[in-house]
Amino acid sequence: MLPRDARALWLARFILPHEGALRAWLRRKASAGFEIDDIVQETYARLSTLETIDNIRDPKTYLFQTAHSIVVSQVRRSRIVPIQAVGHLEAFEMASEEPGPETQTGDHQELQRLAEAIATLPGKVRDVFILRRVHGLPQRDVAQRLGLAESTVEKHMSKGFRLIADFFSRGGNGPRQASSKMPKTLRQDPVRDESGRDE
Amino acid sequence: MSQAEMSNMEIDHIAADWAARLDRGPLSRPDEESLERWLDHDPRHRGAFMRMRAIALHTERARALGPNFDLTRFESSGLPDRSRFIRRRALWIGGMAAAACIVAVIAVPVITPGDGYDTRKGEVRVISLEDGSVMTLNTASKAKVTFDAAMRKVRLIDGEALFAVAKDSTRPFVVDAGEASVRALGTSFAVRHLERTPIEVVVSEGLVEVRQSASAAPVRVGANMRTEVPLDQAQGAPVPLAIAPEAVNRELAWRDGRIAFEAESLAAAAVSFARYSSTRIVIDDPEIARREITGLFTANDPVSFANAAATSLGLKAQIRAGEVHLSR
Repeated sequence: MLPRDARALWLARFILPHEGALRAWLRRKASAGFEIDDIVQETYARLSTLETIDNIRDPKTYLFQTAHSIVVSQVRRSRIVPIQAVGHLEAFEMASEEPGPETQTGDHQELQRLAEAIATLPGKVRDVFILRRVHGLPQRDVAQRLGLAESTVEKHMSKGFRLIADFFSRGGNGPRQASSKMPKTLRQDPVRDESGRDE
Repeated sequence: MSQAEMSNMEIDHIAADWAARLDRGPLSRPDEESLERWLDHDPRHRGAFMRMRAIALHTERARALGPNFDLTRFESSGLPDRSRFIRRRALWIGGMAAAACIVAVIAVPVITPGDGYDTRKGEVRVISLEDGSVMTLNTASKAKVTFDAAMRKVRLIDGEALFAVAKDSTRPFVVDAGEASVRALGTSFAVRHLERTPIEVVVSEGLVEVRQSASAAPVRVGANMRTEVPLDQAQGAPVPLAIAPEAVNRELAWRDGRIAFEAESLAAAAVSFARYSSTRIVIDDPEIARREITGLFTANDPVSFANAAATSLGLKAQIRAGEVHLSR
């Protein structure tokens, strides 16, 4: 296996399940003047280029720490944010010490979530995705079976990846009862504001 | 904003395209080089690509669902429906117990008689009661719990709650909603009490007795049944109807923070979402409002729902000040 794919698998297994929680945490600080998507992408980039991941014992905490350091450096770089924001940011306590319910997610539940993610895909994208992923057919066979060009199948897969990424990043994999374990003051308004950037 | 030449959405698109290209098979030499160039151009490119590649590899696990898995109907034919349902329930109770322990420590250290609980819009709260029963309050709900030596009583003042009742033959567990009451003996059931809507009871396990009022005769409702208690007794007594275990699951999707629709009109879906979020879904065209949607959605995320509906029905979803508009 390519080292790149080995790292991608590690990300899928240990980082992706916490992305929803990370975004929720970032959303609480979003007023400090940064883009959540920027931070998430840079965090993935940094985790992808690490020399080794062998010494990471607690991926969730590591993920949050990495994101936090990127936020701090971004806010420092940015000229539009008042300087107090930096101190304010550094004062934020880590929200990730406590292992959330999602760390106990069993394989079955993970599979269930994946099934739910696939079930939310729109028509053709879902058909393609099921043939490729559930039935494991090669792209060419899927194209033949559905009477589509191979390039169209590829486009549907691309769209499927994006929608499933969205599904997971919006807590599709995260703890839905998370709010119940937080003190009242930390509860987040459920209405998301960055969603306006969707297609 | 960083000096972005490209928006994050565009980056995600390109990253997903590369992940899909790679999914077809190994890249040609020139393709591999052009991918590497793109990845090196901006750290965000590499991050987005690795995330999509992670999704691509992760979704390969879907093979385990088996070729008979019918996602469109939320059912796994890999197993008989009934046993699948039990398995799912067992998992859910497990997860709930874990969450409930944390609640007990942080939010409600001691539960005293006559405790009131409420949830805000979009919130789902799991409350462990002193007898070991678990109450899950859905969005914008309010309940009062009064336990004494003879009786375990919950008054559902507003909203919806799911109960996993611990067995205790000496103390009946009774949920009052409006004039109606639901009495349980070691069971799991949900009660919905919304304004101007008949009180609804869904039983996922065991048996309950529903009374329309204190003086009315009890009606028995068993597992995988639902009943509505008419607002007015003149409209007749509640009639229990058998429903499929999948339908029970769908009715209770909210316990995972989700809403499930099966061939539901967009108008009805918009009403459902209004319970969970103050971002309203607005559909001006009655023809569009009648169109049907099937799927499982995050309950407090009407925007994602609107986007999904727009994609699958060929509509436009536009966000304006606290509203999302669905139009042609």
